[in-house]
Amino acid sequence: MVEIGDKVLGYATDPGIRNRGASGGMVTAILAAALERGLVDSVIVLRHINEYEAVPVITDDVDEVLASAGSMHTVPVNLAKYAAGRKVAMPGKPCDVRAVFEQAKRNEIDIDNTFIIGLNCGGTMHPVLTREMLVRMYEIDPEDVVGEKIDKGKLFFRTKDGEEKAIPIDDLEDAGYGRRESCRYCDVKIPVNADLACGNWGVIGELAGNATFCEVMNGKGVRLLENAIESGYVQIEPAGEQSIAIREKVNSAMLSLGEKWSARVFTEIPEEQRINYYMEQFADCIDCGACKEACPVCTCDEDSKCTMYHSLADDYKMSMYHMVRLLHLSDSCIGCGQCSDVCPVDIPVTSIFRRFADPAQKKHNYKAGMTLERPPFLEVMLK
Amino acid sequence: MKEEIYQTFCPGCGVGCGLYIREDPEGNTSVDFMKSSPANLGKLCRFGMKVPYHYSKARTMVTGSKADIEDAIKAAAHRMADADSVTMLSVGNTTSEEHMAFCRIAETLGTRVDTGVFPLPSQITSKCGSYPEGISLDEMEKAKRIALFLDPYVQYPLIVRRLLAAKRNGAGIVAVGTKELHLADETLDIGPDRYDELGLDDKSLIVADIHPNSDPVHVKQLLDLAGRCGAKIHFMQPFINSTGVNLALKANGSMMALAQIMEDIEAGNIRTLVTLDSDPVELMPDAAAAVETLKKLDNLIVISSRASPVTELADVVIATEPVYMKAGTFMNVEGRLQENSGSGVAGIDAMSLLNGELGGKRFDYQQLHYIFMKSIGDPGTDVGDVTADKAEQMECGSVDVDNAGSSVPEGMYQLKYLYNPFMWFDQKDDNDFVLIDRKLVKKLGLKKGGMVVLGSENGKMKMRYRVENIPGGMIMTAKKIPVATGPNTIISLEGC
Amino acid sequence: MADNREWEPKIVAFCCNWCSYGGADTAGMGRFQQPSSLRVIRVMCSGRIDPLHVFNAFLEGADAVLVTGCHIGDCHYVNGNYKTQVRHQFLEEMVKEMGLEPERLHLNWISASEGEKFANFVRDVTEQIKKIGPSPLKPEGVN
Repeated sequence: MVEIGDKVLGYATDPGIRNRGASGGMVTAILAAALERGLVDSVIVLRHINEYEAVPVITDDVDEVLASAGSMHTVPVNLAKYAAGRKVAMPGKPCDVRAVFEQAKRNEIDIDNTFIIGLNCGGTMHPVLTREMLVRMYEIDPEDVVGEKIDKGKLFFRTKDGEEKAIPIDDLEDAGYGRRESCRYCDVKIPVNADLACGNWGVIGELAGNATFCEVMNGKGVRLLENAIESGYVQIEPAGEQSIAIREKVNSAMLSLGEKWSARVFTEIPEEQRINYYMEQFADCIDCGACKEACPVCTCDEDSKCTMYHSLADDYKMSMYHMVRLLHLSDSCIGCGQCSDVCPVDIPVTSIFRRFADPAQKKHNYKAGMTLERPPFLEVMLK
Repeated sequence: MKEEIYQTFCPGCGVGCGLYIREDPEGNTSVDFMKSSPANLGKLCRFGMKVPYHYSKARTMVTGSKADIEDAIKAAAHRMADADSVTMLSVGNTTSEEHMAFCRIAETLGTRVDTGVFPLPSQITSKCGSYPEGISLDEMEKAKRIALFLDPYVQYPLIVRRLLAAKRNGAGIVAVGTKELHLADETLDIGPDRYDELGLDDKSLIVADIHPNSDPVHVKQLLDLAGRCGAKIHFMQPFINSTGVNLALKANGSMMALAQIMEDIEAGNIRTLVTLDSDPVELMPDAAAAVETLKKLDNLIVISSRASPVTELADVVIATEPVYMKAGTFMNVEGRLQENSGSGVAGIDAMSLLNGELGGKRFDYQQLHYIFMKSIGDPGTDVGDVTADKAEQMECGSVDVDNAGSSVPEGMYQLKYLYNPFMWFDQKDDNDFVLIDRKLVKKLGLKKGGMVVLGSENGKMKMRYRVENIPGGMIMTAKKIPVATGPNTIISLEGC
Repeated sequence: MADNREWEPKIVAFCCNWCSYGGADTAGMGRFQQPSSLRVIRVMCSGRIDPLHVFNAFLEGADAVLVTGCHIGDCHYVNGNYKTQVRHQFLEEMVKEMGLEPERLHLNWISASEGEKFANFVRDVTEQIKKIGPSPLKPEGVN
């Protein structure tokens, strides 16, 4: 009854899930159904801590899945690493999905046993900066916020008194707030590489805000959705042409905004200044190793080439650790921004990695994390 | 598949970085980033990334053999009650509430708790900022000129980004007596007599640190400097709750430096020592000497959440849950009170029982939390006068200090410890090398990949080296090494 | 180093045991003039040369690094040099992005009989490097 390529509008049948979750609670319901009917052993969800914080947990408890309902724009985690070695279902922003593919290429994740419900993503925000932004730009007490949404280029916050305040995202970002830098120039907004590509773009009319647009991308997507329908968790109806068109319109608007940001962030560094630029950037590195630990495409253990051939006693002009990682990531970096987030000395690690990865990936006409077909380039397969 | 996730703080230093500890069903722990933590935005340093290694669980023991917690408490109470006098040490490696419980026991015994930090002159609170709670790190970013008396990269890595932000905001940064720092505009090798050349004024900030092995004379010099030029002064501190314990102490206690406690043990004046998550073997610059000193005690009672050298030496070990599991609060160097998500009160229950055995009152977490909040003057605790006995303030000048460190004999070098979290907890790190000056490489005829031989009264040892621009006559290391006899040691140096 | 002597670059050449090392040997036996700037490191196959080795050479003070191996199709380990080639494509891109001059990294296929080719190759590179000067990655205190 469900086929690859289907585009549907759906929502949770249970009114509780439907109201609590974002956009009709469809993703939550599909995850819960997958777990309950044994399609997977566990599910990765975000455990809610407060309005600005959640922590990924791997759970086999349906109640925990249901309790996690609700999307959060201020939890910039990448879930791929949590899926390693498990038969699991997970929600995923495009960068989560891309990281899962990179992990799968390196045999850390079995893609056939990993069910991914992709979520459209226009970007995530940093929790601490968001609080600061609420105080400075919105003049709202962060503790009073009960909801947020992005609509027509504006970021809305709703307070517990029911008031709503919106500021154009462009204004926020010019002031240094808004989305994380890597999200601004991200070039995958609809997770077409996931099993299901879900989101609220294109949900119109009376269903607006109360249902999810869902595109079935592959056979696993069919199984996920059929499973959820059969178990009575989810109801669907075909998406109208207008819905499909609007979704596409939002997507292309977001993508062209991303291109503008990309041009703004990646200003050309003259060739003769580059080496000094990079040496200067990395000079503050304190060798914490967090960028590797946080990297969702890195599958190496604690002892790996970048760490084992690097010593604190070396006084090289550029650390071996960074040299190895710059090369290693040039074929696999997905630009998710995790490394910049966790860098204790605020080195713009992600944009540096993108500067190396972009030309290399373009040269090979290749975008990391989109399919399993292209191998990791640095590991040539024996024919 | 059930994971426990704890929201806690890095025990590495006083910055108090928020982090998650994940514990799988087998008890293996790993660290995860807590991006919503305002002190660090989830960012962690080298030590924070390796923090799971830090939590090695202690075991309850009586005279070297495994024991029940009740028996250990009885044995400890017995020893403490029989002792003429009891010295109690808590440097701030655990929750404020446990520290307060420890203070209750001290009260029952008619003694006090020491935090191992020497007495500070009272001027510190009035003129130039406050101690132990310093300025907020956000404020550090706004200083116009910053004088650094520490190496932030090695010692307190999470302030590097604050200093870089200050620099972006137009601050000038000058480092004094450190290796050449990338973030500093200039690095000066000058003594206290020339501190006025730093060009500080009332919009400037002095960043230094205070820890159990700080030199009181140096701290006094910095305070004098701050007093003269009107600059603010911010002291970094080495333990997760240094600020909390010292703040609690300011209201109701006196202080004795760790070195003095060790001297008194050596001289036989202290015969019974009780420690709360404080290991003199790890804290003292010369671990071997500290072990010998502690062996002279009649009674060594250790209340600890982690196994460390002192738990091997102790007559009684009362083991508590790892810090990340505890219910409780910590105060960071900004004076920010942060709360663990854990609910463990085993440590508090043990101390409550111990206090009961000693004839004191039992207590629980809520009471202790209230007492702590009261002692730091929280307005929520509307109890009248809590200042109790004001600390007896010693004038810094009267502190007996061995000043020999300032003059290095011809042909000898000064080995300086760069105190960092790995060093305080004697954790393994990839830092078994000394920093030496570029000129010295030529002078000693060192070859690439070679070693240097360091010599002191404690013997000789070989070590790798890293070449840096550092003040003349100085050798630095971020690793605790046996040739060192103090935070600064006069050593000989040869190539090999 | 005396001031009046011309600066001599340091060039590290990785040579595979079966072809290019033989080429270097042939160059010597054939008495082809070669600059003294060359340091040869023999490996069993060019496929063994990890980018790490190249970085290490640069960080330790090499002004140029040459990776040499058997001609494509002639690898004694079936496809070792093919791996070298793929790696080199990424390495090349990285060196360029880093702002190191492209002249500092070369890949060349040289058979055991191509002594003259080897000698000319080394001489050419040395000339190029002399023009562009020492590597910016060269550590302080290294010539």
